[in-house]
Amino acid sequence: MAAADVRDMLDLPAEGQPRPLKKQKVTEKRPEGITRELFALLGERAPPIAINENRYKGRPKWMSKMRVRPWRMAPFENGARSDGLVLRHWQRQNEPAKPALEGSEMEVDDKTDGKNASETVEKDYMFAKYNIKARVPNRYTDEEYNRHLKNDDWTRQETDYLMDLVEEYDLRWVVIADRYDYQPHPVDAETNTTALVPAKRYRTMEQLKARYYFIAASMLALEHPPSEMSEAEFELHEKMMKFDPERERSRKELAALQLNRTADEVREESILLEELKRITANEQEFITERRELYSRLEVPISVGNTTMYQSSQGLSQLLQTLLQADKSKKRRSILGPESAGAAPSPAGQTPASNAPGSARDSRADTPNASAPAAAVTAAAAPTNKKATAAAAAAAAAAATKEAEKTVKTLTPAEEAKYGVQHHERLAPGVQFRSDRAQKLTQAKSNVQTQKLAAALAELAVPLRLVMPTERVCKEFEKLIHSVNLLLDARKVAEKVESEIRVLEAAKEERERKTKESQQEKTSTTSTSTSKPEVKSEQQDEEDGPPLIPADAAAEAATAPDPKGPATAAQAEGEPAAEVKGTSGVPAGSTEGPDGASHKRSASVLSNASDKSNKRQRK
Amino acid sequence: MNPSIPPSTAEYGGDEVSAIVLDPGYSTTRAGFAGEDTPKSLIPTYYGKYTYDSQEKLIFGDDVFVTPRPGLSVHNPMGRDGIVEDWDMAEKVWEYSFTSRLAGPRPGNPLQNGLNDTPDNELPTEMEGLETEEKPLADSPLLMSEPGWNPTKAREKTIEIAMEKWGTPAFYLARNGVLAAFAAGKASALVIDIGASNISITPVHDGMILKRGVQHSPLGGEYISSQLRALFKTNAPQPITITPHYLISSKIAVDAGQPPQAKYKTFSPEKAPHASYRTLLEERTLCEFKECVVQVWPGPNKLSGTGPNGVLNEDLAKTSPGRPFEFPDGYNQVFGVDRYRVVESLFDAKAAIPDPESIFPPATQAQTVPELIKNALNGVDVDVRPHLLANVVVTGASSLLYGFTDRLNQELMQMYPGPRVRISAPGNTAERKFGSWIGGSILASLGTFHQLWISRKEFEEHGPNIVEKRCK
Repeated sequence: MAAADVRDMLDLPAEGQPRPLKKQKVTEKRPEGITRELFALLGERAPPIAINENRYKGRPKWMSKMRVRPWRMAPFENGARSDGLVLRHWQRQNEPAKPALEGSEMEVDDKTDGKNASETVEKDYMFAKYNIKARVPNRYTDEEYNRHLKNDDWTRQETDYLMDLVEEYDLRWVVIADRYDYQPHPVDAETNTTALVPAKRYRTMEQLKARYYFIAASMLALEHPPSEMSEAEFELHEKMMKFDPERERSRKELAALQLNRTADEVREESILLEELKRITANEQEFITERRELYSRLEVPISVGNTTMYQSSQGLSQLLQTLLQADKSKKRRSILGPESAGAAPSPAGQTPASNAPGSARDSRADTPNASAPAAAVTAAAAPTNKKATAAAAAAAAAAATKEAEKTVKTLTPAEEAKYGVQHHERLAPGVQFRSDRAQKLTQAKSNVQTQKLAAALAELAVPLRLVMPTERVCKEFEKLIHSVNLLLDARKVAEKVESEIRVLEAAKEERERKTKESQQEKTSTTSTSTSKPEVKSEQQDEEDGPPLIPADAAAEAATAPDPKGPATAAQAEGEPAAEVKGTSGVPAGSTEGPDGASHKRSASVLSNASDKSNKRQRK
Repeated sequence: MNPSIPPSTAEYGGDEVSAIVLDPGYSTTRAGFAGEDTPKSLIPTYYGKYTYDSQEKLIFGDDVFVTPRPGLSVHNPMGRDGIVEDWDMAEKVWEYSFTSRLAGPRPGNPLQNGLNDTPDNELPTEMEGLETEEKPLADSPLLMSEPGWNPTKAREKTIEIAMEKWGTPAFYLARNGVLAAFAAGKASALVIDIGASNISITPVHDGMILKRGVQHSPLGGEYISSQLRALFKTNAPQPITITPHYLISSKIAVDAGQPPQAKYKTFSPEKAPHASYRTLLEERTLCEFKECVVQVWPGPNKLSGTGPNGVLNEDLAKTSPGRPFEFPDGYNQVFGVDRYRVVESLFDAKAAIPDPESIFPPATQAQTVPELIKNALNGVDVDVRPHLLANVVVTGASSLLYGFTDRLNQELMQMYPGPRVRISAPGNTAERKFGSWIGGSILASLGTFHQLWISRKEFEEHGPNIVEKRCK
């Protein structure tokens, strides 16, 4: 940085002007006590030893020429006292003493001293002005007391006593409450000696205050009715009338509690306070950070690159625009359209122009956008500016080309070499690849997870990857995926198998039945015998477990069944219902006398099958 | 505010009227001119009495310590609770305190000294002027101090003495707690005064004591002395007897813990001073012991308790190096943990060393400093308690015991962990010893104070009871 720049920054005048002259040499003062000749011998570089002796400075010379102003013991009287006590203090005598003969003067003084003292006792004592009493309300008359201020709890005498005390201690309530010691009238004690002596009661400060404020407010109101009071008076009146001794008492109880806390409570509170402070500080920090972020997002991004300003022409143009902006001191939007078009400066590209696009967008398309914009401005500009604008546009175009050149696409091999990876979406914060792999082994249900783990164990692949490199992770992902597929497939297979078994069993049963019925038909049996049988079956079912889950029913069906044909028929209905649930085929295939019970069980089971359906869909 | 520039007169509000400040205590009586920083006259309140030529003679001041006259007995006009018991002698002791150094001896009665022999008929007119002249305090207002629990009768008696016997033109009686607070520059404070015969806690609000909060107990310097005597009786290598200097004629240096080898002075029974004289001088030795050896366990927790890291405080105290002390007879010993024990009962009554022969009844917990403070604070309004705790003023010579303020601070912090506790204890020993005198010196030299004096005229008008109305 050149000296000229520094000067410019500091607003100093340009070079060439004479600098303020520095004092080159301070002539050393000759210390006292050394003769001039000796001092001259010391030469220019005197040794750094102070050659001056310490000695009492004394009074300056001019003082000794002055006359001594005498002090005298002056009597004074204090204006704040009523008894005229005369005390004596030293006072400077300000009138010039008469230059007279000493002896005779002394005598005269002695003689007149007494008279003088009595005459010239100072009347206006300096400290008398500090004698200030607190303003207390006017005293009530008997009539006023009887009419307005009567109270069952307070006698007139005690009220008087209170008012005296208040006046005496200038409304220092702490002291008043401390000194309050009202003795009821001794006459009372004499007249009813036989009666119980009332227990001496302490008036609390709240009681005293309540009484006093009531009296003071009443007296104020008597003096001026509230409608005529000045604002301050009215406020005072309101405040005094609203005094609530009960609330004050409870406040003091709380204050006492607060004072007598244990150390643990205090510590806890301090910890909480500290925590609060920390939280608010963090919040503040967070807010400022966010604001900073926002302001950064909102700041107009400088669009063009600086190459256009590297030429002297571009620079001068920038200077001009800046000057213009300075002169107008107005926003661009308020300015006329011609100035808006004329300036290809960064200030011209306010966010208002590309408000809809996000900041990233604007940044992305700046290299492309700036060049056409510059071209447009060049076209729109008046002829005298044409040349400069065109130059700027050319510069900008060159710059974009350069920028395009610098962006280099990597081949996949190179990417692998440099370890460049592309992610679709990155969650904020740090995360570990091994964690992600770990997450894959956790299935939704616990059973599934266990199955997964078992499968992995079978394959001798550890749950936690030993070396979770990128490639290993990918392989692992694939593996987990295929294991999941396998597990799903196995599940479906099992289900289908069990269904087949059930259906086969049902088929066998039906065949048997048909055989039997044929036999029955042949052996001349009536339908009347079968009907009561059905009824009993219904009862059986109602007695039995009311709600049977689908799986349990299926199991019951598959298990070797000692029950009669009815249960078998029921079991036959179930798969039918399930089939209906899964395939959408209406389950109407069942027939026979036990249709009613079938319906119910079917409805129950269809619910269950719906569930299983959902599970499957998942 | 630049501290190097003195305030102008109007700023500090001083106006000196050559008032005398008298601060009578149990052990010493302090007197001096208002406006000075230490009392000019410091005398023991003890006085000596003996008969010589069948005349009763009195000794005042430091002279009482000097000569063991035959039959010399030592008395104290003050009671142990800080209230005057013997008014005649108290008046004489106090008068000595300011006439010896401050006011100067007055000429004898002009009626009797023979210089003013005038014809009888002129006497009545001259008497008026002369009578006031002969009184020792005719031209100095007098400010006296009193303890916060001084009864009305004693106060009235005091003003009577000042007005009628000493002829002071103006008088004021201030509480020594208030004065100590003023000496610390505070108008509101909790004053903890550890004196010779008493410890007292005085809550002061706006320059007035709060009577219901005033607490005092007899665990002062004398009590500590009695604890020391009890300790010496049960001392480990051998019991220690205190032999005052006046009974030693020569001594030979001995090793620590070895019996003393000294030649003693003996007094024949008719020449020997009274036992109270020996007690007084023993007290001086004990005072030296207290200054050199005795230490207050600084806390945290009691001496009998455990420290913050679970170590017994006694064990911790044992590890600290002991302090040697040599008695007047040459016996010397290093005092270890015992030096903490003798004062522990000021804070923990259970730690008192039992001594059935002591004149002091065993200390109760209610008499200890922390309990007194607690009671004092419970006696005042809850709103001023935090302010009082933030302005604790420690005064009194016995509070100079090493580590006392540390312990006090610890105890207060333990009792009141919530509010801020701040102890104001001047490090300067003179300021601690003469706290209430200095406060009186400040008060009586204030320009604004002069309206509070009770003048002679007022006294004559209203009688001695005016002191109750004016000195609140």
